[in-house]
Amino acid sequence: MCAIQMTVTKVLLFAIAALFPWMAVSAATPFDTDVAPLLQKKCLPCHSEKGQANLDLRTESSILRGGKTGPAIQAGNSEHSLLIEKVVSKSMPPVGDKLTDDQISVLRNWVDHLTPAVQVTEADVLPIFQMRCVVCHGKRKQEGGLDLRTQASRLKGGKSGPAIVPGKPDASPVYQKIASGQMPPPKLLVENAVRPPTTAEVETIRKWISAGAPAVQSLPNEANSNRLVTEKDRQFWAFQPPVRPSVPAPRHASDVRNPIDAFLLQKLESKNLAFNTPAAKLTLLRRVYLDLTGLPPAPADVDAYSKDRRPDAYERLVDRLLESPRYGERWGKFWLDAAGYSDSEGIIDEDLVRGNAWRYRDYVIRAFNQDKPFNQFLTEQIAGDELVDYRHAKQLTPDLMEKLIATGFLRMTPDGTYSPSNGSLVERMDVISDELQVISSSVLGLTVGCARCHNHKYDPIPQRDYYRLSAILQSAYDPYDWVKPTERYLDYAPEGERKEAAAHNAPLEAEIAKLKAELELKAKPYREKFLAASTDKTIVIKEEDLIEKYPEFRMETADLRENIAQTKKKLVDKPQIRALYEMGGEPSQSYLLRRGEAQQLGEAVQPGVPTVLSVGLKPYEPAPPFPDSSGRRLALARWLTQPNHPLTTRVFVNRMWMHHFGRGIVASPSNFGRLGSAPSHPELLDWLATEFVKNDWSIKSMQRLMVTSAAYRQSSVITPDLEKLDPENALLSRMPLRRMDAEQIHDSILSVTEDLNPKAFGPPVAVETKPAGEVVAVGSNKEGFRRSIYVLQRRTTPLTLLEAFDLPPMSPNCIERAYSTVAPQALELTNSDGLRDRARYFAGRLIDEFPADPAKQVGRAYLQALGRPASPLEIKQALADIDRLANLWQDHLKSEKMDAPRATESRWFALSDLCRSLLSSAEFTYID
Amino acid sequence: MTRRDLFSRFASGLQGAALANLFARDMFGAYDLKAKAPNFPPKAKSVIQLFQNGGPSQVDLFDHKPTLEKFAGTAPSRDIVNQIEFADQIGTMLPSSFKFSKHGGSGIELSELLPHLATCADDICLIRSMFGEHFNHEPSLYLMHSGRTLPGRPSLGSWVVYGLGSENQNLPAYVVLDDPKKLPVNGIQNWQSGYLPPIYQGTRFRSEGPPLLNLKPSEELESPLVEAQRSLLHRIDDAHRQARPGNPDLDARLASYELAARMQMTATDALDLSQESEATKEMYGLNQDATASYGRRCLMARRLIERGVRYVQIFIEYQIWDAHSDLEKSLRYSCGKTDQPAAALLKDLKQRGLLDSTLVIWGGEFGRMPISQTRPGQGTAGRDHGPAGFSMWMAGGGVKRGYVHGATDEIGHKAVENRVSVHDFHATLLHLLGMNYRDLVYERQGLKERITDQIPARIVNELLA
Repeated sequence: MCAIQMTVTKVLLFAIAALFPWMAVSAATPFDTDVAPLLQKKCLPCHSEKGQANLDLRTESSILRGGKTGPAIQAGNSEHSLLIEKVVSKSMPPVGDKLTDDQISVLRNWVDHLTPAVQVTEADVLPIFQMRCVVCHGKRKQEGGLDLRTQASRLKGGKSGPAIVPGKPDASPVYQKIASGQMPPPKLLVENAVRPPTTAEVETIRKWISAGAPAVQSLPNEANSNRLVTEKDRQFWAFQPPVRPSVPAPRHASDVRNPIDAFLLQKLESKNLAFNTPAAKLTLLRRVYLDLTGLPPAPADVDAYSKDRRPDAYERLVDRLLESPRYGERWGKFWLDAAGYSDSEGIIDEDLVRGNAWRYRDYVIRAFNQDKPFNQFLTEQIAGDELVDYRHAKQLTPDLMEKLIATGFLRMTPDGTYSPSNGSLVERMDVISDELQVISSSVLGLTVGCARCHNHKYDPIPQRDYYRLSAILQSAYDPYDWVKPTERYLDYAPEGERKEAAAHNAPLEAEIAKLKAELELKAKPYREKFLAASTDKTIVIKEEDLIEKYPEFRMETADLRENIAQTKKKLVDKPQIRALYEMGGEPSQSYLLRRGEAQQLGEAVQPGVPTVLSVGLKPYEPAPPFPDSSGRRLALARWLTQPNHPLTTRVFVNRMWMHHFGRGIVASPSNFGRLGSAPSHPELLDWLATEFVKNDWSIKSMQRLMVTSAAYRQSSVITPDLEKLDPENALLSRMPLRRMDAEQIHDSILSVTEDLNPKAFGPPVAVETKPAGEVVAVGSNKEGFRRSIYVLQRRTTPLTLLEAFDLPPMSPNCIERAYSTVAPQALELTNSDGLRDRARYFAGRLIDEFPADPAKQVGRAYLQALGRPASPLEIKQALADIDRLANLWQDHLKSEKMDAPRATESRWFALSDLCRSLLSSAEFTYID
Repeated sequence: MTRRDLFSRFASGLQGAALANLFARDMFGAYDLKAKAPNFPPKAKSVIQLFQNGGPSQVDLFDHKPTLEKFAGTAPSRDIVNQIEFADQIGTMLPSSFKFSKHGGSGIELSELLPHLATCADDICLIRSMFGEHFNHEPSLYLMHSGRTLPGRPSLGSWVVYGLGSENQNLPAYVVLDDPKKLPVNGIQNWQSGYLPPIYQGTRFRSEGPPLLNLKPSEELESPLVEAQRSLLHRIDDAHRQARPGNPDLDARLASYELAARMQMTATDALDLSQESEATKEMYGLNQDATASYGRRCLMARRLIERGVRYVQIFIEYQIWDAHSDLEKSLRYSCGKTDQPAAALLKDLKQRGLLDSTLVIWGGEFGRMPISQTRPGQGTAGRDHGPAGFSMWMAGGGVKRGYVHGATDEIGHKAVENRVSVHDFHATLLHLLGMNYRDLVYERQGLKERITDQIPARIVNELLA
């Protein structure tokens, strides 16, 4: 049906274009009368013959030709025209009056009404082929034996001869079939996320073939110009390798527990400051517990630590916490934030759940618990598939699986390209751009993404460097040879798990098949009726079509369909690995994309790393580790993990520091560039970076150093002096008072009320949306509730409690969290059913434990919730409050039918109120 | 130098940009929602956005194209085909089956589907030359609400309250009234604050039941009991704070708890429609099934604006304007739900003298195609998405009344005259609120972020009164 229609289209096309004006847009703003005088005044002083940046703005054609950074305008598209961008952003003209909005409007109008360029080269047709054809005539598929990727393969053609006959468009199958609407085949468009070519594109192909189909001369090689990064650029501190400084000797030598303190004290002393008094023993206990495990100390921990009088009691405690399985669940989360971890694909409204993403989450938690050296950790995540020749491995070892799962690091960003209406070249490139954002913000600490559309405005990162980095991913993420996120999985799983899933699913699948057959039987007469009424006898009739058309069919099959849907829900995901892996073969050529646009090919580029990062470093040199692996990502990992890399170690130790001390030594943890913050303690940063490498990139050793420093053990009490001399605490003259983050609050509540199910790892816990709109994790009072890291992290249904406390959206990732103080937090803690229930269980347990001793109940509540004993005054006040509340509850319960004795019930509820108050108190939600 | 010169000089340089960033912070450097002075005197103080998810069909509602009738049944050009979401369901040129007529002194032509809006023709500023960047819902919603086709950036409402704060500290500055039946496409992402601090995120008010999630405990408790619970927490918190002077965070926390308590009164009161007269309720269509739900939200929006809320966003059931099939039935349904309440909102604001200081905006994420779409087995023809040209209207604070701006081509497909991009629209809206879009910056990791970044945008001066 559609093919016929397209042929009609072609015939009509020319007729319509000739007869009716709305086909071709007339030029509303003639260049000579309105535009030229404006350019004359504002631009020609610099951009005339032999103008600045080789840009000549005297004529339309010279403007279209452009200068050093490509064409100045894109005909018909002012939104994507450099000239317009420059005047709009007011960066041009550099001196004198900027253009007014009305003047800009004149320029925009002119560009929008300009018809596209006349001269065509291969650079103009290549993007058309890439966007519309190579999915079937490219690397993986060569329908009809035809490959349209290169000039040679086009000339060679396919089974029916050459695809192009230079000079003769009408004799060139490529042109013929596209112009007639036969290609791309209308029926395959949607499933391949391809749009049919525009009139202008068809015309471009015709002109190109007419002109003799000239092979490309105009895509210059990148080697031509590398002048954009200078030696001076490389002098910037963050681009120089860290040099280990000598440890200073501050005056307060007795306050120095380790070199961290020496660096900090030296700076404090220069402002006539020293460390604050040490924190109280139990304050420090709670701080370090929450910091390293995300959970508060239990009463038994408080008791044991209070009694431990050994001089190294604290160091022993730190060692115990670092060895706790809870440690990886806390510190793994920070890394998952950096990776942009999510259990759903996002972008599309349905927010499709990613079945096997959790394996990567578990990998990260285990890596932290095992203290996997950071260089190894990073290498596995960037190039795990290039570390082991898994395709030819005889056996599926746990080690091999782990390395493949690790590459999930680069599979976490939003990815809607599984949907045909969001799977075009543009959206594929957005996925790659997001993954580069993950690497650059979390490992490099640079805003590389700024160079996607133009040279970085502030840092020496030319646009080319962005595309060289992007080319590193191209052997796995090839925009011209795309694999949908729903299919980009490796079919590897431990035998046991595979069998278990198969055994679980087999009877369900049989049941579904049976039900479907039943449904089909009922559908048959309706199908016949449908077909009889249809003019198109080849039509594929879907079940939905029948439901839509025949209400009686809908009614008749409602139960059956519901049954199928419910049974399908019981199926478990097939165990697979969500990995990033090499596609094999020769990756497609990478180009610089002018203005960041898929259709604007610039120079061809080779995979590479930012040019400015070269001082003292071995160059980036990809080499295949084994056949069908380009080695591009492995070389990136090797390059990044050089011990003297100027950014990898600094950026990571800075983040550890930020998580422990509240702010980074570089306060902009994802921007170490010129616009980032200068380090508050540059020598300390370098000492830590080199110390990290010296200790074999051990994360735990680094953290041990940080939390056992005297700096970390300071009190958070602020004196007027401190406020005056170190108002922002940049010198770390005290520990900051910090609000718990979302996960600390969620998990600590469960821990205190003893409702925490300590089960680790595995598929995520489901969430449910309550009628009122609250999103909660599924759990039960019997089994308890699991830590937030194990709850489904779906983009559209964050847990209400977490969201209220600033859980960040992963778009694509989060390096530094924001903290807000807003009323919905208070509402959540004081009014939600969830916390009410937890508080009641908490109170119930206290009553069970100390049945006849309200004072002990209160004392225990304080100890459990706040990690400290209650003072006698607090107990006295709390008991008075409970009495008062119990009376009020008794009044309340009078109005309700209750089976239990009212006095018992009301005391229980009153104690619950105290428990809830403790759990929503400032003392609980803040860490001293 | 005139006062206007002074303001524009003040607002356009770096100085203004730096100030914008400082304005949003209180004396301790924390971000807050206190009312902030704009860059220059604003035309509008608050915004009500009537967002029409799905893509209302411009050629059936706002943009009369008699030419289309001449081509009825002919095949579309390649350029149209190129932009279709369902390339396998392409139909032919489809003229509107609805009658258009001129209304009011301004003579704005509107479709018979909008009889109520027609009575407000002289109050609206109709833009017929909007254009977007993507043919699919999700990216187009991201674009309309945040300026980019990808998720994760701050919404327009977040930018507005970041720049201006709120006149009422007892209610959220940015309120979202979503449809209880179903969230719009992209759900909560439509009002996220992205990289802006979370306090600038939109707060969902429910139009049924308690207005705010957990505004009250689910158990009905007597006020002395609630008071006693509150004072218990206050006592514990106050002692904690007294022991830790010099921590503004703790003051802010205490204030947030007090606000939460006050909001039980203020939010409940703001959304209590029983205080409205019968005539008002009737005007909004609260007494009719079709209009009751949307009418409630429109009326609530007026009550919120009256109380100094800066930005109110109203959504309508999922994407009811997405008429891929049964165009006629679908449009009658959508207009039947929205036309009367939206017009009532304009009239009500006007009679209360609030329309001069409130900007009302009406529109979806794109429009629809001038050609038909046929889905096998699914009723009569519909229209596929059309981002190349569509209509929106604004009314109130600072925009021309009874005015039509721009035009699409003769078949209503592509905006050709006085084109207005989504970025232009954002820049103009901020301008009406007294802010220069280039100066509304947020510093993140050393970079200056703006709603439009370096994307060309222009204040559409022709729209300004």
